[in-house]
Amino acid sequence: MSDAIKTQGMWYRAGPDFELHDVSMSVPTGSVYGFLGPNGAGKTTTIRLLLGLHRADRGDISLLDRDVPKDMPDILQRTAYVPETPHLYPSLTVAEAVRYHGAFYKAWDESWTDELFDRFSLPPNQRISKLSKGESGKLLMLLALAQRPELLVLDEPTEGLDPIVRRDILGTLLDYVSEQGATVLISSHLVHELERICDWVGLMDQGRLISEMPMQQFKNGIKRLRIIDPPGTYDNTPFEVLAREPVNGGVPGEMILVQGWSADMAGYFSGVGASLREVVDLDLEDGFVEMLRAYRAG
Amino acid sequence: MFQVILSTQWKWARLPLLLATIAAFTIPVLSVQGAGGSQIQGAMAFRVLAAMENWAVWYPLLAAAIGLLLAVTAWGPDHRQGHSYALSLPLPRWQYAMLRLGAGFVLLAAPAVGIALGSVLASATATVPLGLTAYPAALAIRFTLAAILAFSIFFAIAGGSTRTAGYVLAAMAALLIGHRLLGGGAIDIDVVGPILERLYDFRGPLGIFGGRWMLIDV
Repeated sequence: MSDAIKTQGMWYRAGPDFELHDVSMSVPTGSVYGFLGPNGAGKTTTIRLLLGLHRADRGDISLLDRDVPKDMPDILQRTAYVPETPHLYPSLTVAEAVRYHGAFYKAWDESWTDELFDRFSLPPNQRISKLSKGESGKLLMLLALAQRPELLVLDEPTEGLDPIVRRDILGTLLDYVSEQGATVLISSHLVHELERICDWVGLMDQGRLISEMPMQQFKNGIKRLRIIDPPGTYDNTPFEVLAREPVNGGVPGEMILVQGWSADMAGYFSGVGASLREVVDLDLEDGFVEMLRAYRAG
Repeated sequence: MFQVILSTQWKWARLPLLLATIAAFTIPVLSVQGAGGSQIQGAMAFRVLAAMENWAVWYPLLAAAIGLLLAVTAWGPDHRQGHSYALSLPLPRWQYAMLRLGAGFVLLAAPAVGIALGSVLASATATVPLGLTAYPAALAIRFTLAAILAFSIFFAIAGGSTRTAGYVLAAMAALLIGHRLLGGGAIDIDVVGPILERLYDFRGPLGIFGGRWMLIDV
């Protein structure tokens, strides 16, 4: 499978206090890739680099098999972008903004624009500056989808929206993706929301991409294990130990957080004189928090 | 594409542009009224020339103001959004800038028509004294070219980053401060004078703004 987005060794200094370090990410074509990370992790900066809005200091970036920034007009013709903060001209009305935006895209779909207008119940004569947050979010999604893009890059598209609007927007997005086979890179703080829609996930923290993997692997492969008589060190493990911590409440043994776990690896512990007592499943949010904690602990 | 760029710029600039067009129409009419209007034949030629000279300063000022206004309104909304929308559109940056520049040139047609009509009307209603001639077409063309030049310069400055605009302003401020310091000290060196002379000389880049802006002249 080819990658709709690929970066290799991408570096970017955004100021005296923040830098993207050697970001190498791959977003498979046709996937819905959830881009997770705490505030200030570098998600928006990464997205802006992907779209040529910033220039990387080092590294290679390609979108849809074209080079960034060399082939930007062609890439942007096939890519839709929904920014974190609405960037449309506030003095235009909704209808004017749609007409303006549509004039730049060869694949712009007028009839679908009309359909989305009805579906999102957008007021055509309302000024953009007067739109509610929900209406703004819907308008940005309308503009993105009516381009008929092959790739959608969505930076916190549902941030601050109520659950009904969020559901409208994400439902329409998923309909489009399933019909067109488009690729989506979506960043969000709402981990549960991404868990529902994404099939790949990338975790970012402190300017580094700390992990990326299929969602299924992430959900199934990250576990918390309770070990009795743990060894001093875990050597030659078939899984990766992310963190070790004592069990609370005077319970014997220790808890370890592991990545890449599967049930047939349980035999490893008897081989090192320990025993596995409990395997705790983590949901995406727990896994995300634990991975960040383990990463920050070094 | 050009059409939507033009329509946004029109939307952002239409009110001040309308006022500028009215001003461009009115200045030549008022200059003739100031010289005596249809009673101009009774006036001495020097009185007519004096009245024309009184109004002459307003033409280049208005042309420069229109250029500045159109440049600021062309880039202002993009500046306020940090250019992120413009940069995410699927066209090369130079092409986007050219479209905005072209739209500005089209909008300049409004004040150009305003001054052309005002000059023709003012000339037609005035009886020009012997020895003097009305130049409505020359005045209108000169005004339009000056507005195009002003718009192009301000467009280039406004289209750059805030830092670029800062450098331009800082260079101008440094020039003026240097002139003041040197002029007020023991060494009397005129820094600004020769530069302005070069700029506004009829061969200089801003030469069109210098010289005589007269609807009626010898």
